Amino acid sequence: MHKDRYYDVVIVGAGIVGSALARELSAWSLRIAVIDRASDIPSGASRANSAMIHAGYDDEPGTVKAALCAEGNRLYRELAGPLDITLLNCGSYVCGVGDGDLAKLELLLDQGRENGVPGLEIIGADELHAAEPNVTPDVTHALRAPTGAIINNFEAVLAFMDNAQQNGVDLFLETELTSLLLSDDRGAVTGATTNRGVFFAPVVINASGTSSDLVAGMAGDHSFRISPIRGEYYILDKNYGHTVNSFLFSCPTDRGKGVTVAPTAERNLLIGPTSQLQESREDASTTAEGLAEVMDGARALVPSITPSMAITTFSGLRASADTKDFVINALDSPHGFVNVAGIKSPGFTAAPAIARRVVDLMKDRLSDIITFVPNRKFVPERRHIPRFESLPVEEKARLAAADPRYAQIVCRCETVTEAQIVEAIRRGARTVAAVKIWTRAGAGRCQGGFCGPRVVAILARELGIPPDEVTRHGGHSRLLSGRTKDYWFREAGR
Amino acid sequence: MICVNCPVGCDIKVTAEGDEVKSVEGNACPRALEFARDEVRNPTRIFATTVRVSGGRLPVCPVRSLRAAPKSRLFDISREVARLVVPAPVRIGQMILEDACGIGVDIVATRDLEAQEEDVK
Amino acid sequence: MSDIHVDVVVVGAGPAGVAAGIGAREAGAGRVLVIERDWDLGGILQQCIHPGFGLHTFKEELTGPEYMHRWVRWAHDAGVEFMTNTMVFGAYPDGSLDVMNPDRGVFRVSAGATLLAMGCRERPLGAVNIPGTRPAGIYTAGTAQRFVNMEGYMPGERAVIMGSGDIGLIMARRMIWEGAKVEAVFEIMPWAGGLRRNIAQCLDDYGIPFFLQHSVARVHGRDRLEGVTAVKVDDDRRPLPGSERFIPCDTLLLAVGLIPENELSRMAGAQIHPVTGGPVINELYQTTCPSIFAAGNVVIVYDLADWVSQEGMAAGRNAALYATGRLQAPVRRIEIAGGANVRLFSPHYITGGTDATIYFRVNRPIEGRCRVFASHGLYERRERYARPGEMNEVRLKKDALAALPDGATRIVVDVEEA
Repeated sequence: MHKDRYYDVVIVGAGIVGSALARELSAWSLRIAVIDRASDIPSGASRANSAMIHAGYDDEPGTVKAALCAEGNRLYRELAGPLDITLLNCGSYVCGVGDGDLAKLELLLDQGRENGVPGLEIIGADELHAAEPNVTPDVTHALRAPTGAIINNFEAVLAFMDNAQQNGVDLFLETELTSLLLSDDRGAVTGATTNRGVFFAPVVINASGTSSDLVAGMAGDHSFRISPIRGEYYILDKNYGHTVNSFLFSCPTDRGKGVTVAPTAERNLLIGPTSQLQESREDASTTAEGLAEVMDGARALVPSITPSMAITTFSGLRASADTKDFVINALDSPHGFVNVAGIKSPGFTAAPAIARRVVDLMKDRLSDIITFVPNRKFVPERRHIPRFESLPVEEKARLAAADPRYAQIVCRCETVTEAQIVEAIRRGARTVAAVKIWTRAGAGRCQGGFCGPRVVAILARELGIPPDEVTRHGGHSRLLSGRTKDYWFREAGR
Repeated sequence: MICVNCPVGCDIKVTAEGDEVKSVEGNACPRALEFARDEVRNPTRIFATTVRVSGGRLPVCPVRSLRAAPKSRLFDISREVARLVVPAPVRIGQMILEDACGIGVDIVATRDLEAQEEDVK
Repeated sequence: MSDIHVDVVVVGAGPAGVAAGIGAREAGAGRVLVIERDWDLGGILQQCIHPGFGLHTFKEELTGPEYMHRWVRWAHDAGVEFMTNTMVFGAYPDGSLDVMNPDRGVFRVSAGATLLAMGCRERPLGAVNIPGTRPAGIYTAGTAQRFVNMEGYMPGERAVIMGSGDIGLIMARRMIWEGAKVEAVFEIMPWAGGLRRNIAQCLDDYGIPFFLQHSVARVHGRDRLEGVTAVKVDDDRRPLPGSERFIPCDTLLLAVGLIPENELSRMAGAQIHPVTGGPVINELYQTTCPSIFAAGNVVIVYDLADWVSQEGMAAGRNAALYATGRLQAPVRRIEIAGGANVRLFSPHYITGGTDATIYFRVNRPIEGRCRVFASHGLYERRERYARPGEMNEVRLKKDALAALPDGATRIVVDVEEA
């Protein structure tokens, strides 16, 4: 029996947009709930993306996304410190071959300057190869964008949400929106029904990614349609993390920004994505063709890349709206429904700026139903779980002396300690995937081969459940089918 | 079948009438004959599994049949071992199940397994 | 936390490390410390509960735990010290180590000689990159083995196994013995990876279908594995269109290769061999960092634990000699190279000052009479067959090496049809 809950604002979706918005709103004295159907966040596009903070030259001047991308870039730099998010200020290059590409680069340069992007310049082959010796010699020119950066996208979502929760926001995972509650004349929002009960609220914000057109439809808004676009990626071993120093793009084609080669925030190498339009909003599987396309595209840019460098692959769905721009609006009717939809690239980059814009929009349009009184207890900073691996030995020793669980290594490949895993569980991780997202245990080159059984045991212990109830990523994804001798008892029972 | 007398592992073709080996082909040496005879008449295997343990540092302890057991009875032996719960500590060589299934197969522990310490590991 | 200084420190208490400790003590080292990350000793053999170990060392067929029990007792008797539940997380060119455990916290270990015996890890799903979903139920065979034999839990009830190396074959049988179904074993090469005996006693005994030149092309199931698409492949390992077959299962075990654990070797600055993935060593088990030695699967993947222990013991002896200033400095450097049929071998160069055994694996099976040899007439032997799944060797004699002309800087090791 689920109890009714009462809030001022319900945000549907705990991706980068939902969590950035939750944090922004938590600076005001509002009762805020974020609901997400996944078992661990980030899920969806916020989980499987290129982790890039774009400089902002890619978007048509005058569009909402152009303005918000450049502002978002600036905001991440300001927030990375206080929110303890790993940000690699590595810059980016768009690489071109020949005069046709040079013309495209010049267009991007002009576009970027109009969007207010600092430091853009076009450089020649010599300068590019001096900075990036492993790029194919075919490249003749490149657009250099020094404000392009790489972020740990998992940390970003967790950081915003963590800070939001510290400041009073409630997060409800495995909670799926089933319908909107509206007033009798359907002119006002009164709440949201979910699989876990009713959330009464005058404001519902739609930040639900690939489902955002369906959610808008619940409010009677059929003005846009989301098409899922699949992107497949490889992650390559950390031993190759310095193959490139910055985020590298091939020249854009009609289908998008093209296959990229970039270091991740942890200095793996990330290559991808593809851009495959598809029907299903759920199917985020990889395909042989997609992976081959990624590998070919990456090798065209950096010939020394080979499939044997891979430690894993993944795929994610981006939400592309059939409008040319982000869909950020407050509906006239029902009053209280806000769309933050179609947040495709540069969505992740724009998210902190999107959050501010939505708050401004809400103050402008919704102050008759909710009041914006500053939250005097708002704390703008938070710390992530200590990143044990990157700490100097003296720091490691200090942590271990204070808590012996910091001297108990669980994940050998990424040097993750038991203390970190226990803290992740305390902060809400309930699955092996969530533990990996928080701590990187299992994200290394052996992909959980060594630490897997240990992580399962710790989750079982901390959650007070038998090991065979621990799941990989929630739902029915149990890792173990039962105890080793159970079969003989089942057999005897027949 | 594969003759496992030595690592060569010849693929041998054995023709048998009931319990009796009539011919063996494909072998590189005569030892295959004796192997084939045993395999036809009374194939045996050393059997290794685990047994449940209570109060130990691990919930299961590896065990083995002391000598090769009849291949046709391995599942029966498994079933009988599965019913047991042995209290820790366990010592290597400790008799876990004497005369399993009444066919003279002894099952012994193959490692020392200490009792769980008082505090949670 | 106070640091520790010993004569010889060994990383890993598996078959190589424990034997190395004994070798070091028997060669006169004073304090010999073996560091182990697990809470108990024995390394991977703790979970290898099947018989097949010790045939050469003890003339008995023992299970993995029984085999290590004897070695550990020997090590205790020889005065080797052990530290369990202890992880080495840093290594330096002088052999000193950054170490941690819950009792002592973070501390340093320095030694007269350091011996790396961390063994190897399994190639994960990401190394074969099967397209499809990422459900629960996909494990490397060794991780599944740990769950079944030590944690006491089954990974699933209906399994498909990818790869026919011994670990895959052994786990097929183990799953059967705990009541699971094994639908098939798929091997991408035209030959089996594991020993013939294991094909017989793990697959044939239980009627488990075994398919050569097959692979898994796709994984299905969102939360839990629901099945795999199996496919036949051609001689270039490419899928043959039209041969796809869906096989329902809830568990996929991967036995697709082993790689030496080489983080510490790399951190210490030892040269890593591009083919084996382990440190480059000479016949004295010395890496390119003079005070750092390496033995066992961390150098090259062996087939029998007996050889691993033997190597470990010899390496430990040399480490002790080095630590006490008695190891002869190399005079020559003769490279070892693989011939047309050999890619994996160890050691990678020799000093010529002692007898040396070169271990290697042939690239492809040669079923039938063949010649195992080293160049310059240094060694020759006839064999009935040569298989990638079985480690091979050539033995070089010190006198013959001494007789080599100065210009001979390379010895080629190979196998060819006779």
